[in-house]
Amino acid sequence: METTIEKTKSRSLASETWRRLKKNKGAIIGLIFLVVLVIAALASGFIYDYDTQIIGQNISQRLQRPSSEFWFGTDQVGRDIFARILYGARYSLSISAGSVLIGLITGIILGAVAGFYGGLADDIIMRIADVLYAIPNIMIAVVIVSLLGSSTINLLLALSVSAATSFARITRASVMTIRGQEYIESANAIGMPNWKIILKHVIPNCLSPIIVQVTLLIGTTIIAASSLSFLGIGVPAPAPEWGAMLSEGRDFMRSASYICIIPGLVIMATVLALNLLGDGLRDALDPKMKT
Amino acid sequence: MTENILEIKDLVVHYETDDGVVYAVNGISLAIGKGQTLGLVGETGAGKTTTALSILNLVPNPPGVIKSGEILLDNINMLSLPARELQNVRGKDVAMIFQDPMTALNPVMTIGEQIAESVMLHHKDFSKEDCIERAKEMLRQVGIDDSRAADYPHQLSGGMRQRVVIAIALACNPKLLIADEPTTALDVTIQAQVLALMKQLKQEFNTVMLLITHDLGVVAEVCDEVAVMYAGHIVEKGSAYDVFNHTLHPYTEGLFNSLPNLRERGEELVPIKGMMPDPMQLPTGCVFAPRCPYVMDKCRLGQPELKDHGQSHFVACIAYDSEDFKLRRNS
Amino acid sequence: MWKYILKRLIQMIPAILITSFIIYFSMNLTSGDPAMLVAGEKATPAQVEQVRQELGLNDPIVIRYLKYMGGMIRGDLGTSYVTKQDVFKTFMSRLPATLELSFASVLIAVLVSIPLGIYTAVNQNSWKDTAGMIFALFGVSMPNFWLGLMLIVLFSLNLGWFPSSGRAGFQSLVLPAVTVGLGLAALITRTTRSSMLDVIRQDYMRTARAKGASERRVIYKHGLNNALIPIITVIGLQLSNVLTGSVLAETVFSWPGIGRLIFDHISKRDTPMVTGAIIMCSILMCLVNLVVDIVYAFFDPRIKAQYVQK
Repeated sequence: METTIEKTKSRSLASETWRRLKKNKGAIIGLIFLVVLVIAALASGFIYDYDTQIIGQNISQRLQRPSSEFWFGTDQVGRDIFARILYGARYSLSISAGSVLIGLITGIILGAVAGFYGGLADDIIMRIADVLYAIPNIMIAVVIVSLLGSSTINLLLALSVSAATSFARITRASVMTIRGQEYIESANAIGMPNWKIILKHVIPNCLSPIIVQVTLLIGTTIIAASSLSFLGIGVPAPAPEWGAMLSEGRDFMRSASYICIIPGLVIMATVLALNLLGDGLRDALDPKMKT
Repeated sequence: MTENILEIKDLVVHYETDDGVVYAVNGISLAIGKGQTLGLVGETGAGKTTTALSILNLVPNPPGVIKSGEILLDNINMLSLPARELQNVRGKDVAMIFQDPMTALNPVMTIGEQIAESVMLHHKDFSKEDCIERAKEMLRQVGIDDSRAADYPHQLSGGMRQRVVIAIALACNPKLLIADEPTTALDVTIQAQVLALMKQLKQEFNTVMLLITHDLGVVAEVCDEVAVMYAGHIVEKGSAYDVFNHTLHPYTEGLFNSLPNLRERGEELVPIKGMMPDPMQLPTGCVFAPRCPYVMDKCRLGQPELKDHGQSHFVACIAYDSEDFKLRRNS
Repeated sequence: MWKYILKRLIQMIPAILITSFIIYFSMNLTSGDPAMLVAGEKATPAQVEQVRQELGLNDPIVIRYLKYMGGMIRGDLGTSYVTKQDVFKTFMSRLPATLELSFASVLIAVLVSIPLGIYTAVNQNSWKDTAGMIFALFGVSMPNFWLGLMLIVLFSLNLGWFPSSGRAGFQSLVLPAVTVGLGLAALITRTTRSSMLDVIRQDYMRTARAKGASERRVIYKHGLNNALIPIITVIGLQLSNVLTGSVLAETVFSWPGIGRLIFDHISKRDTPMVTGAIIMCSILMCLVNLVVDIVYAFFDPRIKAQYVQK
């Protein structure tokens, strides 16, 4: 009985959010773009052969301008940029979504621990979060990747650190507001373990800021990941990561600037779509906040 | 040319929002003559504040739109003045005291600066020192030591802040002072002080006053004339004596019956039944008909006009078309 | 007020200690054996051992940390393993370039974003607002290094107005500063707009209009002064970001700043240089935060009152 009530309630919240989101043109454009991109990224694995078409060199057709044959042109070793961009979406999207997910889980755990136990645990976790917050996340990632060595996994870990700090803050704040409220005390009294309280009460309570933050952070993480690849410490060559492609094009900026321009435009469009969706979600989830 | 300082003719104000049109003020007419104080009485949401803001032509737009009407301040139509001249009139010829003194003052300016700004805006020939001197004089007038001119609003109590708001309003000696629920946000003891101060200053500055309130006690204390507003319409207006002692409109009667009577404790309060209509969907007939204890079928046909019932006592109620109609209160 | 500043400076000491502790330990525990690095690839085990002795690497790490902190008080952050130069001196030689770029870009950002933020807020929901917001949205969605490259393509390679790299006079500052500045401008515009939108609805704005103040005066004198606190917060945060975080712009424009210094030396495992530079940066950022707090007090008497009380 109780669960059915809860279900209808949460469904109505979700449908209410969706109803408001639908009115927001920008958010819908962003959403459509992202869906198309994800489908294209998934399909690219079936359309193209990685060894020959994505990383295989073909000097005879190098540096060709965008045309009907090569929509985005070819790069300095004759690879089809369009194919590489589609394939590269897999890297950018999975790295950013993956690191945000890792950050989300560790952040929620750390924030909940800090909020529930308080005292020394809170002090240590939050002071470290403060220090990490004060250092630009690109610097944190540079340090971590440099120390651990550059690989896709290390990149993922490095990028998840700054995501974790921001989720830890959100969760902690949410725990602090509901801690000491009567229903938590009664949950404690009937012997509900803390992790269950966190799942049942804390997370639903801060779901809106978390959803918004996830969307926006995936965007910033895409930029951060491509920045690190641009610096040469991200996804190792010859993988078609967007930032790495951009970096390779630097030497041809004068003669073939499209090699640089196109990956940048794609990064921008993707992040723009995420930001539009994130802003739209924020307004839809919390209409009072709407400005 | 009339002797009236303020004349409002057929004012209509709507708020056009995404969810629909709010019919805030629906064709009201008012006038205040020299030396008079008019009380505008009604519940929250009756359109009193919108009326006041219209006089300054300060209805927030969007969503607020002044659809029609005239507002003559000393025979100048405020609604057709260009922005520049409007600025010259605001603060100088007409000033306003706002409801909540906690938020009406700028938190990052000293109170002295805020009063002086008012002077400076309308006396271009004054030096900065003159303006500050005048500000200090105003502080003394409202009963605050002028050494506090350098204080910020957060350093003052609510009552003190309302005195500062009054000082700002009176700094340029306006012809008309609009006071929008000036005492609602204050403690009862402070209310009496502030009210007494306003009464006294009104005399000294020889200004006319439009006092907006939901508190009939305040009206009895201060006003010469009263207009009762309901759902964007004026339903009754007349001298304070007539409205209090020969109440005509059923709504006004309802307001009096909802007042606790200190002399006859234990007497049952008679609240008005129901709620004020949603200003987005006003009833087709008389706006008060759904709540009126005297309602008749013909009440639902249209909003009755405000008719003179003798001695400049007006009422908007078609029950008075039959001569023997009387409210229970009066019989 | 002076008392407050002094107190804040004293409070900075534990913060710096904690930060340096974390940085020192994580750098030294993860960067492998520096003695091998210093002695060179062809060194014999005996030579490596000798280097290890010289560098004091055989001491426990806590002792090394204490020695390091002892040196820091005297302005000695050790010697680079790679360039054999004094870390503190190297850092100070790079600092002017970083400060120059930071201030120029923040200046550009403020000049663009605050008027734009106010303009969009005042014209909320009109096409002007939408246009301004789209600009800001593009700004935050754009990878900054890419913007830099595009500016080079346009203004350096095609038009030849500005040099594409190096640091030689005002001309060379323009493109890097615009690159970093526009990225910041986008963020500050968004903050300014939402902060102004909050303020515009406040009652004291109506009081000011009722006094007869012109719309311009209402917005700038009464509105902006009240909207500044969140704006200053964002500028402060971004300033500390720019100080160390412009490694990308520095890379694109070969700008000899601190971000690039850290990046170059980290890949060479030059622990003293990286540790020293990061610790110096965190001190710098503490100072920036202090300045931001003092600026708060300047604009908001309520905050000032709190400081004086303390």
